[in-house]
Amino acid sequence: MSQPLHLTEKDFWKHQSVRKIWDQIVPGEPIETLPHTLSLEEIHRYCRAVGDLNPLYFDEAHARKSPYKGLIAPPTIHILLMFTCTPIDYYMRAPGTINAGQSWSYNIPARPGDTITLHARALDKFIRKDRLFVIHDNVFFNQHSQVICSGRGWTIRPE
Amino acid sequence: MTQTFETVNIGFTITGGKFSPTRETIREFCEASLDHNPLHLDDQYMKGSFGKTAFGGIIMHGMTHFGLMTKMLTEWLYPIGGIHRRLETRWLTPVKPGDTIQPSARVRQKKQTTHTNWIVLDLEMRNQRGELVARGESLAEFPPLEHSAKTK
Repeated sequence: MSQPLHLTEKDFWKHQSVRKIWDQIVPGEPIETLPHTLSLEEIHRYCRAVGDLNPLYFDEAHARKSPYKGLIAPPTIHILLMFTCTPIDYYMRAPGTINAGQSWSYNIPARPGDTITLHARALDKFIRKDRLFVIHDNVFFNQHSQVICSGRGWTIRPE
Repeated sequence: MTQTFETVNIGFTITGGKFSPTRETIREFCEASLDHNPLHLDDQYMKGSFGKTAFGGIIMHGMTHFGLMTKMLTEWLYPIGGIHRRLETRWLTPVKPGDTIQPSARVRQKKQTTHTNWIVLDLEMRNQRGELVARGESLAEFPPLEHSAKTK
């Protein structure tokens, strides 16, 4: 079975015409999201990209003996989940989107095999120093409806 | 001796590993995060200006700071039973291929609340010239031993 487009498309210029621009973003309006089953391979690819080879993420025997009782994903796996759980037309993929800052709170770890869902919306938008800002509100849940993490991001939108 | 909430002092500092982004590591982060924004890939695009900002070349993902700071914090916390609960960062200067960055964290405050214990840390990311490229704040929880089973 071929992978869905939002997991494979690397050219963010494609589909740009169907993404909302700053003018069209309505704070408070939920964005469409997609559930995603997180694989061990995805966790490991992310860990290697930031050089984080903690045995809790890689060594099943070590992880089983830990308080976590099994392999977990690093807290920052939400960096990947933001793109696995949103469709190709989500405006976070708009070329030129500049990440200005983030804050995230962590509740319980995501684990390989978890089916993750995202509740997301723009919370606020404003103009400061001639730049177009949006505040993003994101909460990730596992298949048991437990909160994994919640985050607030600031982006500068392309004009 | 293993550190505990009681023995961690205000001012205690931890330092993370150095990281030297290259075009290859940035591309690897694109593949791992599915964030293929041309800011991180397209030199031609990055010759342009973005409102008031001109970068002059591709830049590392801001979220790489998040990953590196978290690695530093969890490497300290996991073995001593602490739980990484929060990270907030602001990016101050873009990081480019050829730079070398290193995170550090300093304990600013300790606080006991009704059910548990907290440590607040100030975080910095500096480049090879000593310039502050990102700043952050984090919160670690140190559950009392009788409660620790409930937190996982």
